Amino acid sequence: MLDSETVHAGVPVALSTAQTEDTFTLAKYESTVTDRSSYLGPDSNENLREAIARYYDIEHIAEYFTHNKSFRNITLQFPDKLIQDSSTVTQLLQDKLVIQDKDTKSAKRNIWVLADTAYSPCCVDEVASEHVNADIVIHFGDACLNAIKSQPVLYCFGRPYLDFDELSQGFKKTYSDEMAKVCLMADAPHSECIGKLYEILRNDGYENLLYAVVDEKSSSSNCTILQSDQHQASHSNKLISLQNRAIYSSNKELKTIDEANLQENYDLFHITVPADPHLLFLTTKFKTVSLYDTETSSVKQGPYPSLMKRYKFMHVARTAGCIGILVNTLSLKNTKETINTLVKHIRDSGKKHYLFVVGKPNVAKLANFEPVDIWCILGCGQGGIILDQHNEFYKPIITPYELTLALKPEVTWTGQWVVDFDAVLDEIEQENTQMNVAFEDSTNLSKAEAKDLSGDLQNEGAPDFDAVTGKYISTSRPLRKLKHLELDYPAMGSRELTKNVAGGVIIKGTVSTSAAHLQSREWTGLGSDYSSQDGYDESGAAVEEGISGVASGYEFDRTNKPKSR
Amino acid sequence: MVAFTVDQMRSLMDKVTNVRNMSVIAHVDHGKSTLTDSLVQKAGIISAAKAGEARFMDTRKDEQERGITIKSTAISLFAEINDEDVKDIKQKSDGNSFLINLIDSPGHVDFSSEVTAALRVTDGALVVVDTVEGVCVQTETVLRQALGERIKPVVVINKVDRALLELQVTKEDLYQSFSRTVESVNVIISTYADEVLGDVQVYPSQGTVAFGSGLHGWAFTIRQFANRYGKKFGVDKSKMMERLWGDSYFNPKTKKWTNKETDASGKPLERAFNMFVLDPIFRLFAAIMNFKKDEIPVLLEKLEINLKGDEKELEGKALLKVVMKKFLPAADALLEMIVMHLPSPVTAQNYRAEQLYEGPSDDPFCLAIKKCDPNADLMLYVSKMVPTSDKGRFYAFGRVFAGTVKSGQKVRIQGPNYVPGKKDDLFLKAIQRVVLMMGSRTEPIDDCPAGNIVGLVGVDQFLLKTGTLTTNEAAHNMKVMKFSVSPVVQVAVEVKNANDLPKLVEGLKRLSKSDPCVLTYMSESGEHIVAGTGELHLEICLQDLENDHAGIPLKISPPVVAYRETVEGESSQVALSKSPNKHNRIYLKAEPIDEEVSLAIENGKINPRDDFKARARIMADEFNWDVTDARKIWCFGPDGNGPNLVVDQTKAVQYLHEIKDSVVAAFQWATKEGPIFGEQMRSVRVNILDVTLHADAIHRGGGQIIPTMRRATYAGFLLAEPKIQEPVFLVEIQCPEQAVGGIYSVLNKKRGQVVSEEQRPGTPLFTVKAYLPVNESFGFTGELRQATGGQAFPQMVFDHWATLGSDPLDPTTKAGEIVLAARKRHGMKEEVPGWQEYYDKL
Ligand SMILES: Nc1nc2c(ncn2[C@@H]2O[C@H](COP(=O)(O)OP(=O)(O)OP(=O)(O)O)[C@@H](O)[C@H]2O)c(=O)[nH]1
Ligand SMILES: [Mg+2]
Repeated sequence: MLDSETVHAGVPVALSTAQTEDTFTLAKYESTVTDRSSYLGPDSNENLREAIARYYDIEHIAEYFTHNKSFRNITLQFPDKLIQDSSTVTQLLQDKLVIQDKDTKSAKRNIWVLADTAYSPCCVDEVASEHVNADIVIHFGDACLNAIKSQPVLYCFGRPYLDFDELSQGFKKTYSDEMAKVCLMADAPHSECIGKLYEILRNDGYENLLYAVVDEKSSSSNCTILQSDQHQASHSNKLISLQNRAIYSSNKELKTIDEANLQENYDLFHITVPADPHLLFLTTKFKTVSLYDTETSSVKQGPYPSLMKRYKFMHVARTAGCIGILVNTLSLKNTKETINTLVKHIRDSGKKHYLFVVGKPNVAKLANFEPVDIWCILGCGQGGIILDQHNEFYKPIITPYELTLALKPEVTWTGQWVVDFDAVLDEIEQENTQMNVAFEDSTNLSKAEAKDLSGDLQNEGAPDFDAVTGKYISTSRPLRKLKHLELDYPAMGSRELTKNVAGGVIIKGTVSTSAAHLQSREWTGLGSDYSSQDGYDESGAAVEEGISGVASGYEFDRTNKPKSR
Repeated sequence: MVAFTVDQMRSLMDKVTNVRNMSVIAHVDHGKSTLTDSLVQKAGIISAAKAGEARFMDTRKDEQERGITIKSTAISLFAEINDEDVKDIKQKSDGNSFLINLIDSPGHVDFSSEVTAALRVTDGALVVVDTVEGVCVQTETVLRQALGERIKPVVVINKVDRALLELQVTKEDLYQSFSRTVESVNVIISTYADEVLGDVQVYPSQGTVAFGSGLHGWAFTIRQFANRYGKKFGVDKSKMMERLWGDSYFNPKTKKWTNKETDASGKPLERAFNMFVLDPIFRLFAAIMNFKKDEIPVLLEKLEINLKGDEKELEGKALLKVVMKKFLPAADALLEMIVMHLPSPVTAQNYRAEQLYEGPSDDPFCLAIKKCDPNADLMLYVSKMVPTSDKGRFYAFGRVFAGTVKSGQKVRIQGPNYVPGKKDDLFLKAIQRVVLMMGSRTEPIDDCPAGNIVGLVGVDQFLLKTGTLTTNEAAHNMKVMKFSVSPVVQVAVEVKNANDLPKLVEGLKRLSKSDPCVLTYMSESGEHIVAGTGELHLEICLQDLENDHAGIPLKISPPVVAYRETVEGESSQVALSKSPNKHNRIYLKAEPIDEEVSLAIENGKINPRDDFKARARIMADEFNWDVTDARKIWCFGPDGNGPNLVVDQTKAVQYLHEIKDSVVAAFQWATKEGPIFGEQMRSVRVNILDVTLHADAIHRGGGQIIPTMRRATYAGFLLAEPKIQEPVFLVEIQCPEQAVGGIYSVLNKKRGQVVSEEQRPGTPLFTVKAYLPVNESFGFTGELRQATGGQAFPQMVFDHWATLGSDPLDPTTKAGEIVLAARKRHGMKEEVPGWQEYYDKL
């Protein structure tokens, strides 16, 4: 949108190189014939409407509304991949609802399509739907089922086409040993196929399989999952829940299984390739992970996002002076609490933070904020966290959990991938109580301890060792530095060594790392580069008095008037 | 040993014209520590309170086990020189008591950085050369470093006893061997000496070369013999010294001196050196070692050597030692040479100041250093950290170059990144304690004036390895040291138990502090890396890490080497990248930088912190750079100081400088992690040819420019015949002739390239020099030992980066294999992205 406006407003002024009219042409939207066969099945094109109706389970949605007549404003949320079906779905749905509403007197039902979701597609875009005062959101496609604040949601995952022959072939090629301990899992749309795959493989002799289905209990009460009856596996016992999945086995002897066992002994066979953050989560929960790509019908084994890299970023955060909190969700529960707690925690550790709310963050958007040393992203654990696998982002991005680890006084690493805000809040809570206990302990000090404390004073303001670069970093706690300088050197301007040492740049009584950054820039405005040019004259050109007055009669005109007459 | 109270010691430090700070440097095993020990026994200063306690030179356990020095150790010696000698000192001095601060340094190449750190705080060097092995690689390396730091050398030719006992050489053979060694040393000196030092070649006839045996505790200079004979012949001492070296002969019949080797009748004459200097020594050796009971007392009497009680009972080697020690006590000769010929801090700082100080050479701080003024503002350089008995804490070891450092004094602690006027890397703190470093012992003192070496407590938390301490906010940093070795061998370390992680990270920090050169950092994929100069260095570091610094069991990966990414040609077309909003464009080309320029950047000759105009002049005059280009260098990278450059070659682009900071940031990023396999770039010059910018500042911010410049750099790089560089060792192997064949066969197997093979004249020893890729060097020592029956020991030192000729983007080539393996290890996509990935079409 932005781009096209600029073009209509005219070609930008040429600054340097000669520009012809077509210097700045914009990439055109290339309309391609979209191939729906990967999810609707190979022969869906012949009767597209029917195939779509089947896929989106229009029948059941309509049925849902016969029971829930009060929902008049309905919003439909599609992931980008499925937005092409939105008009068809809307039509189909309208047709059904009109029939329903024929003999009721209630107000007309409105259907809205949320065209551009601001955050991750797996999350319900509550804010967008509130804009039209929607009563309910129908969320299509894969979903994280994360709790949101208030809005009722109807999840409709879709019923994707799956070629079971290819799938079971793929599985067998990956696991030739029939005794292999493997857990079967899929994204939400494909989860309904898991049960069938499980049966197929069991009949083929695989004995030690587990399978995971969407765990309805994980969604909140105002949510409804369509097609939920499909997943009931009555003759199986639930072993464990893993985020929004419940893992089952029909092996009667296996009653429960703990995470450690899963992690040590079980491989994961996942249908579809999950988004990076979710994939990382899965790799921490299973021995190995194989991915079945439904689009190419092939099995992939990596490369996976690496937890070691997260460990590195955690270290970067330890010595970062300025943290950008990047809010990449507005609907997740506890977002606000998490932000507030994090902010306080960051400030207590002497670090500076800035808060950013950015939809669809990308390299260019984030690189605009150069003083930020590291980003902490608050987003949905399934798809709303940027993992930057290929080092494209200028500064690393970490999760709130990783940040809390980084802010601990001692290097800490649990090897866990935690994205749940509640877990983060708990962690900080725990830390604070521990600190308080330690503080109380230190009030009745022995002499030796008192000496230690004076040692601490000497240590104050000491740089931190950055394990990533192997260097000492003196800028990792800009706020602490301010405190320390005030404490230690009250006699500013005296003969002591402090005259010029302010604690950084202070704006409104707080350290501004970004102002400090601006000061350290070489470019300080027009003309600041002249000094490096040849023949630069310190004194500059003399100021000459110019013309004054207004265009209809300059001073100079007036003085000249009598003469011209 | 002499026992002094701290006060006595302290008063010696005030007479700074009578202080000598010196390092003992040499090739490995040439006898530095042994020689130092013998000096300490005689003249070492210990505190009166502690006299009689355990061994003074209390070295590390592993040093004793391995028989090599690993860390340098500082000790103080006291010398009294008689009045007559004091008169001969050609620099200012005051009385005849002298304080010598001596640093014994390691000789193994892997620890050269210890030598560098020692040289920084000293003004003179005692270069030890083994009589039999002569001048070796490391002799040359350390001497070169010393001269680079404007350190004045004197030489001692050591282990002369071996020549007499083992090799049974004739006097003339020995003279020839001495003379050759002196000559080789002088060749090195004249090659590398800085002209401001004047003539610093060494001459036996001037008393700047000593000969002796550290093990047996004897040594002499010609001066001592000249003293003896001068009186006898009634010749002036200095004239006598001239006559006792070189082509100078004495005809005993005519009692005439001549420079012809035959007399009037053509009968050969004996060289004066052989006749007057070597003859008594040879005779003593012959008589004692052949047990000639009757000859010995005669000789002893003639040479005025008195044996006491039990000593008379001794025989053979034991007797020889005692006799020689009495005849030519090593301490006398060496201390005299040191005091007379090495500069005092006052003398040395006068010519070293401008080379030590980063700021302008006419500012008050540089002038104070020049004058070695104890009353000026403090200028103190911390050259290394020495572990204390208190775990994890260190003494900051350094030298006061100006002013006086006091306990409790508030100072500015300036780390290596400090720039005057900025706050980065600057700390205002009080010095807790000032101490004298005496071996592994310390003695607290109240203060320490300019010109002296000192230890500080309470500074170590603020400096990782080195730094500058001053009391004036206008003072610049002292220059950082540049090491001749590079940490090119690396391993990944991992804890065995996850709970130990904090200990590991703390241990890595301590390790990093305790060694001037070791690097600890994290790899691309998040492993903790320890990088050292060679296998031995790494082994010692890891052992220290495991046992001391971290104190936890570790998993250690096999060693790998660090590579560099470079280009060999100019970009085949202009690389263009558009900003994400498509409104800004950067056009550039990459090209290689000449190796000499890269080396000059790496060794600090071309310094990013220097004034750009001065730097441009050097680059134009000495490296043939276009002076306009040289002035338009926007930055060095990575880390702002590496051997990669951005040059602005644009013409009249408005607002160009507004994006400079973003371009610089992007270049640091791009050169730190190259596109081939995330290794640092080296020798890559990027010329920015043109830039198109959006008129509106908001559309040309960092977010648009940083990613674009990085992409453009990658595109330009990949279009310019990208290559990878591997580190190469220079290997020197000394061995007997029959082992040479074995050496060749091992070298062949390991892509080694022989540079030279020479027989050392007068010995059966051969010296083979070869280049060996570091990657092939793991296990080389062992294989060599096997192939030569244990007769060949290599010395390996990083020499240069060699470009691998093959295409790193083609996984079937040698270079490609290395790249592929590394990419897999780091979890990257296996295929290297092509230039098209970073290039935007018009
Ligand atoms: N024959 C003889 N052997 C000596 C003499 N000086 C030292 N050595 C022997 O040479 C070996 C090495 O001596 P060190 O003093 O450790 O040599 P270094 O130069 O300090 O060695 P690094 O510090 O490891 O470089 C020891 O075995 C000594 O006994 C000498 O004057 N004569
Ligand atoms: Mg030694």
